[in-house]
Amino acid sequence: MTNTESLENVVLELRRGVIVLAALSQLGTEQYGYSLLKQLADLGLEVDQGTLYPLLRRLEAQGLLESVWKIEESRPRRYYVISSEGRKILPKLKKEWTGIVATMSRMLA
Amino acid sequence: MKLIDRYVTEVGRRLPLFRGRKDIENELRSTLEDMLEDRAKKVGRASDEAMETELLREYGAPEGVASSYNPMPYLIGPRMFPFFMMVLKIAVSVLTVVLLVLLGVQISTQSPMTGMEFAKAIGEGLLGIVSAAIAAFGNIVLVFAILERFVPASEFKLGEQKEWDPLSLKKEPEPEEIKPWEPIFAIVLTFIAISIFNFNPQLIGFYSFSGDAWVVIPALTDAFFRWLPLINISWVAEIILNGLLLRSGRWGTQTRLFSMAIKVLQIVIGYFLLTGPNIFALTPDSLKAIQGLDVELPQILGTIFQQAGRGIIALIMFIEGIDLVKTGYRLITQRR
Repeated sequence: MTNTESLENVVLELRRGVIVLAALSQLGTEQYGYSLLKQLADLGLEVDQGTLYPLLRRLEAQGLLESVWKIEESRPRRYYVISSEGRKILPKLKKEWTGIVATMSRMLA
Repeated sequence: MKLIDRYVTEVGRRLPLFRGRKDIENELRSTLEDMLEDRAKKVGRASDEAMETELLREYGAPEGVASSYNPMPYLIGPRMFPFFMMVLKIAVSVLTVVLLVLLGVQISTQSPMTGMEFAKAIGEGLLGIVSAAIAAFGNIVLVFAILERFVPASEFKLGEQKEWDPLSLKKEPEPEEIKPWEPIFAIVLTFIAISIFNFNPQLIGFYSFSGDAWVVIPALTDAFFRWLPLINISWVAEIILNGLLLRSGRWGTQTRLFSMAIKVLQIVIGYFLLTGPNIFALTPDSLKAIQGLDVELPQILGTIFQQAGRGIIALIMFIEGIDLVKTGYRLITQRR
């Protein structure tokens, strides 16, 4: 494995860790998968679709998201939105994230 | 059928049937159509097959896409694996011991056997053990693969819930405790020795291929077999001792005394074997019967066998002597 590959893998792992929080934070209003993907990209977080869609399904299975099929522009789309359980844990996750950022900032200063 | 539809079908074929396959297919199709529409808008023309091909190439091979939805790419997962390994070790060990005992019984009841028959019985027996071990492995894997998929994680936590106490590290293993496989292994080996020396003594010898058949020159004289009843007593005593150890799982005063008595008997037998009439039949003269050997070779081999045989007996007596002292020492320290 080359240095570049190692770096890419580490960056990928770092990003993967924050996708759950990123997705939950953006699903206060309902969105379908592709629109969420574009929104995350617009905000600077490029996520692979092969990562995002299975993650959305997993979060739904865990009860943190809810989904519903809607037909729009003659096309069925699955819309996701944060569930009441997801709303409960989101502030805790945000607090945890703030703590991690503060700790890492101290370490990397 | 559009390329996207074929692509979605290919992904769907690789997804588990009962885990929302249709749902995933619909969502994937919808996403791909959205992406295609986006691209068409960007270039300002209607989508075509080239654009579709480019999109699907970027999205990746159907195998990769399907595997990203598969939450369980393994047969037996991490939560089950330690328990699987434990069951596997126990099953294969027990199976091996049982089949070895059966093999010993078979050899002793089919005596007298020729060398070839003996080799065949051993070969078939070992093959049976390997086949049985593979079959057991397959069945255990099958059972655990089913458990992995149908038993909820909450009902299968094994030892995870037990609170580990670091103070348990302070407890030193007791020298009196023995591992169950040790007496079992000793019993099986002793049983095999009894069956060979008593029922198939013709197998103990020097094998040479002469012309079209194997020729066996016996390795032991009648003088050895006169001591066999006494040797048998020591072997039967060994089996009884190991049976007691297997039952109790630890050394005690009685088993140590019993073990010391057996060692004394074996050292005495060794002494008689060394000082009495020669028990080794492989001599320079007997080896001359082998056709095709160099003139000096029987002389050299015969001398080596004589010296090596005596050396082995002396070595066994020495080891038994050390064991005797060690057992006596443990007996004394245990009583304190």
